Amino acid sequence: MGKIGFTTTIPIEVIFASGNIPLDLNNIFINDKDSMSLVRNAEIKGFPRNMCGWIKGLYAVAKKHKIKEVIAVTQGDCSNTYALMEILQMDGVKIIPFAYPYNRDKDLLRLQINKLRKTFKVKERDVIESKKRLDKIREKVHRIDRMTWEDNLVSGFENHLYLVSTSDMNGDPKKFEKDIDNFISSLRKRRPNNVEVRLGFIGVPPIFTNLYEFIEAKGGRVVFNETQRQFAMPYRTDDIVEQYRLYTYPYGIFGRIRDIEEQVRIREIHGLIHYVQAFCYRQLEDLIIRSKENKIPILTLEGDHPIELDARSKIRIEGFIEMLKNKNKRNN
Amino acid sequence: MRIGIDLGSREIKLVFYNGKDFIEMKKYETVEFYKRFGKKGKKGIRIDLVDFHSFLENVPIEILKNYDKLVITGYGRNNLNIENAEIISEINAHVKGARYQTGLSSFTLTDLGGQDSKVIFVKEGYVVDFIMNDKCAAGGGRYLDNMARILGITLDKLGEYYKNPVQINSTCATFGESEMLGKLMEGYKVEELCAGINEAVFNRIFPIMNRFESDKLILCGGVAKNGAIKKMIELNTGREVIVPRYPQFNGAIGCVVDF
Repeated sequence: MGKIGFTTTIPIEVIFASGNIPLDLNNIFINDKDSMSLVRNAEIKGFPRNMCGWIKGLYAVAKKHKIKEVIAVTQGDCSNTYALMEILQMDGVKIIPFAYPYNRDKDLLRLQINKLRKTFKVKERDVIESKKRLDKIREKVHRIDRMTWEDNLVSGFENHLYLVSTSDMNGDPKKFEKDIDNFISSLRKRRPNNVEVRLGFIGVPPIFTNLYEFIEAKGGRVVFNETQRQFAMPYRTDDIVEQYRLYTYPYGIFGRIRDIEEQVRIREIHGLIHYVQAFCYRQLEDLIIRSKENKIPILTLEGDHPIELDARSKIRIEGFIEMLKNKNKRNN
Repeated sequence: MRIGIDLGSREIKLVFYNGKDFIEMKKYETVEFYKRFGKKGKKGIRIDLVDFHSFLENVPIEILKNYDKLVITGYGRNNLNIENAEIISEINAHVKGARYQTGLSSFTLTDLGGQDSKVIFVKEGYVVDFIMNDKCAAGGGRYLDNMARILGITLDKLGEYYKNPVQINSTCATFGESEMLGKLMEGYKVEELCAGINEAVFNRIFPIMNRFESDKLILCGGVAKNGAIKKMIELNTGREVIVPRYPQFNGAIGCVVDF
């Protein structure tokens, strides 16, 4: 049983069915006690200063945990992944490419999943069984998500944490499920937190370490974590190809915007925070989001390193929440 | 007596308001301010207002001991510990200041400070949206400061030129220095260099200003005193730019006035 790293969400059903342990390198990087030193290690190796912090983190964490095999998403994520896989390859890591077809082509996606299945020598029926087991856990996480926006019992950070963890089930589905069960039962003791300002967080997960905490200290709460929710596969289907076809993250911005608009309406969101990573091509998508999603205010927030929010970002978030509070007062 | 303090990245602005008039307005260089008056306390930096007395002209020491209200805004306000101080956001302070100074309630306010650039869209007294620059201070007041220093001219002189601008690539406060030296060596006239510097700042701010449609454009912050940038905004928008009487004190004024 080996550890299989991956660079962004892939069909983990296949990896679990093979008896290996999938590890989302993003999650291990950001949960590392000293994630900043991982970024520095990559820079010492020669990664440029003006390069995505996540890519540096992925590299350093693969080295730190001595990961021997990495599934690299070569289409549906960023092109920095190409060079990352080549550098890892140079360091002796086995690279398994996986590509989400740009146009959501069902046949091409099926081919990709089948190739992955063959690489790990897994039978189709074992993948189906694996999916059933994981879907049961995902459903519990969907419940946590609902309890965030509907019952107001879950904080923005907790929502983020449980949703984002479904990408690899923390490498141990059984233990993860137990954690979820304990968390859900602990919620019974809580009282609803009906804050004045309900926020949606869109874009890649934040690299900042205290974002949700700061938002809540200022009277706001994130009730929608767009990409993290996608990692938890929110659309129910028995077909694994369909599941990874409905998953919005790797397929361009317009499908994502439709999902965001729907959730803004359902979850009664007052404002959106669009998080963009420094030096990321997704910063360009901010322009599309702003021109398409113009019903509610959007704050674009840029992060670089895995550290606490800087004073300037704090001022911007504070001003944004204050503006939404005043807007709500006026509308009531 | 009400005291308003705007903790800017470049300068600290203080205003003393008796409910009717401003009896004193003062600026202090930020780094000097913290070095001279700041004392590290348990809850951040502690400032004793009485220490200020020697630096003020029209404010009796009693007022510094016994004022009605003290309101603080600006960068680092959450780390400052002054007894009985109320803290308000920069957006709020600047909007209140602009409403007080111009008498307008619907406008686009652009505040160009030392490092910060903010564009705030206000309709009937309410903030509808705002944009603030992030991380990088390129094209802010600090850049203008550096460029004026390199050219050996005053900021006022720099702000006079907008015709025949030299194309400038970098508005970075640091990299801009070597670029300016390069242009000087190429033999450009100082007037053209100044116009190029002003245009570089304009090019940074114009796409942000352009996001909001508004008939009334208000310009604040230290950079508002640069006539060339004001002129460039007017030429490109076809609208008049209103610079209030105290553009640099706008945030501090917003701390003390009622709106």
